[in-house]
Amino acid sequence: MSEEITVEREYGNWLDEADSGSPPDLFTVVLDELYASGPNPQETAHAQDRLMASVGKERIYYDELPRSPIGPVFIALSAHGVVAIDFSDGEEAFLSWIQKRTGVYPMRSPERMAESLHQVEEYLAGKRAAFDLPIDMRFLTDFQRTVLRAVMRVPRGEVITYGALARVIGRPKAARAVGRALGSNPIPIVIPCHRVLASDGSLGGYSGRGGVRTKADLLRLEGVSL
Amino acid sequence: MVSKPNFDTLVEAHSAEIFAYLWRMMGEEADAEDCLQETFLRAFRGYSRLVSDSNYRAWLYKIATNVARTHFSHRKRAALRRVEIDPSRLHGGISPIDELDRREMLSAVLEAVEDLPHKQRAAFMMRKYQGLSYHTIATVLGGTEAAARANVYQALKKLRAQFMAATEGSREER
Repeated sequence: MSEEITVEREYGNWLDEADSGSPPDLFTVVLDELYASGPNPQETAHAQDRLMASVGKERIYYDELPRSPIGPVFIALSAHGVVAIDFSDGEEAFLSWIQKRTGVYPMRSPERMAESLHQVEEYLAGKRAAFDLPIDMRFLTDFQRTVLRAVMRVPRGEVITYGALARVIGRPKAARAVGRALGSNPIPIVIPCHRVLASDGSLGGYSGRGGVRTKADLLRLEGVSL
Repeated sequence: MVSKPNFDTLVEAHSAEIFAYLWRMMGEEADAEDCLQETFLRAFRGYSRLVSDSNYRAWLYKIATNVARTHFSHRKRAALRRVEIDPSRLHGGISPIDELDRREMLSAVLEAVEDLPHKQRAAFMMRKYQGLSYHTIATVLGGTEAAARANVYQALKKLRAQFMAATEGSREER
């Protein structure tokens, strides 16, 4: 009992409360240097990945580019590649959309998302021409996959029409269906559906934030004169 | 009646925290990772028998503490190894002292921590670095809050004493 009273007097500053008023002594400094910071985030991420793999559970991560010329951009990534990019809605809508599409509730992970965010940021700043990111197309229909793969072959600075794209995939009468597949492109920007225009040369549609105005901005960024 | 969350949810909610705890208990990343696997494997096996309104966090800590005890007794001292292997982690909190003294002090503390009885080390890490309440620590260690408090106090007293002895010893040598 008397020992407990000593505890309170000597170490009460952190034993019961996180905050300490008095400056720490050398012993406390050394102790904190060893233990306070904890394992680094990469170590933790690695350990969690190994754990999830052994539990046999798919994991999807996401993070946000809070400021960009087209507003906040959310990106989600699985072990297979980019699952989704969104710049229409807020975080909550994005998460429930991913959850609905994949059955997985994504977790925020700046460590794992750094590279994809960086590439998208560079692209939007006009400093990157092409993306070097794997794409996860598992959650799409075969037709969507076909259309989106074809769009990915349209290089920066060039455009194609819905009709021409329909011919490229060997479905010349399917221009409308192609339009719909593009409209539901879950990975805009990286899969450049903005490079597909209407046959009369008008912009057609765009479902991201800002609609066709954003589409026009993206094309101008790529040096296409409209 | 409250339904139990999916096991996946538990993993997602607590694995980082439990990993940090095991890292502090084991003093080494690879051991901590193995212990994390083992902890959740044991948890997974026992999950169906757990009642639905349990304190899941305390339950996981309890398993982790047991796993750490088993692993800890099966291995050699990690203290000196870690200071050698991973100096990048030790970022200059003790600037006025030269590197040698610094290393000696870090080793002294690591050794002292490893020499603590298991319960004391566990109580100490849970309280000081994992931020658990004495109430939770008592649940994890299976005793009273007063006992949990005494374990933390004893740990701290021993660590400090061993640190003082080591640093005074090295001063006298010169």
